[in-house]
Amino acid sequence: MVGAARGRPRVKYWEDFEVGESTELGSHSITEAEILAFARKYDPQPFHTDPEAARRSIFGGLIASGWHTCALMMRLSVEANRREEAAATGSPGLDSCRWLKPVRPGDALTGRTEVLETWPSRSKPIGFVRRRVELINQDGEAVVSIVGITMYRRRPAAAA
Amino acid sequence: MKYFEDVQVGDVMRFGRYEVTREEIVEYARQFDPQPFHLDEEAAKASMFGGLIASGWHTGAMFIRMVVEHMTPVHATSGAMGFDDLKWLKPVRPGDVLSVESEIREKIESRSRPDRGTVKIESRIENQRGEVVMSLVSLVIYLRR
Repeated sequence: MVGAARGRPRVKYWEDFEVGESTELGSHSITEAEILAFARKYDPQPFHTDPEAARRSIFGGLIASGWHTCALMMRLSVEANRREEAAATGSPGLDSCRWLKPVRPGDALTGRTEVLETWPSRSKPIGFVRRRVELINQDGEAVVSIVGITMYRRRPAAAA
Repeated sequence: MKYFEDVQVGDVMRFGRYEVTREEIVEYARQFDPQPFHLDEEAAKASMFGGLIASGWHTGAMFIRMVVEHMTPVHATSGAMGFDDLKWLKPVRPGDVLSVESEIREKIESRSRPDRGTVKIESRIENQRGEVVMSLVSLVIYLRR
């Protein structure tokens, strides 16, 4: 009963999220091979797929697709949910996403998230959590910042 | 080539055809969104989605592929700042065929960079039944003539 010893049941339900709470999501170092593989499949613009063309572009070198950066943020979020055993059940969408800085090969990206708002569903046994999620590079700069909504299951009555 | 001056608020563009396969849904999910309802048919059947569905971020990736194939070659764009108001409205399932309808919503001149401007483009990604599965408002950077 390790979870009970921490003062809450093991699974993290909607009720367990508090406004202002901040979580580290872990890190990922992005490689040139990853940038090229994603971009060739989904975002084949020269500054994402061709190091030489990227050098001549306004970016001065190869940069990751913004949709790749978001995918990495999702990966870190899913892994964090798994570590916390959070009862996440998808997302209706995002308020905003800003790609703030280029992401380049070798960048070490660390995720962090902050809970902004929580509210229950009126019709389903779930609740919503509005959160900001950011990826920070090795120089401490936020490279992407989103505000999105995640759904979590409510704690069953028997477990309350 | 369409520059900032050439796109007008209200312009509508329809483009793209993307066939969604089970293999690609699972491959994307393994790399970026390993949740049971994106990975495993049996687990997905037991979930609230009733079957395998694509990661919402995968739908976004398929959307940008259609944009890069059909719009980027004829529009003088230089990436995007991001997007607002993204909604995942319907599940995307194996066998779905997606396409895009985009509408110019607003043009914003840059004060600091006279060679470019930002264009807000609302895009609706539809399936083969005409249902909107995802929508968003992109903030696209256009070069000026």
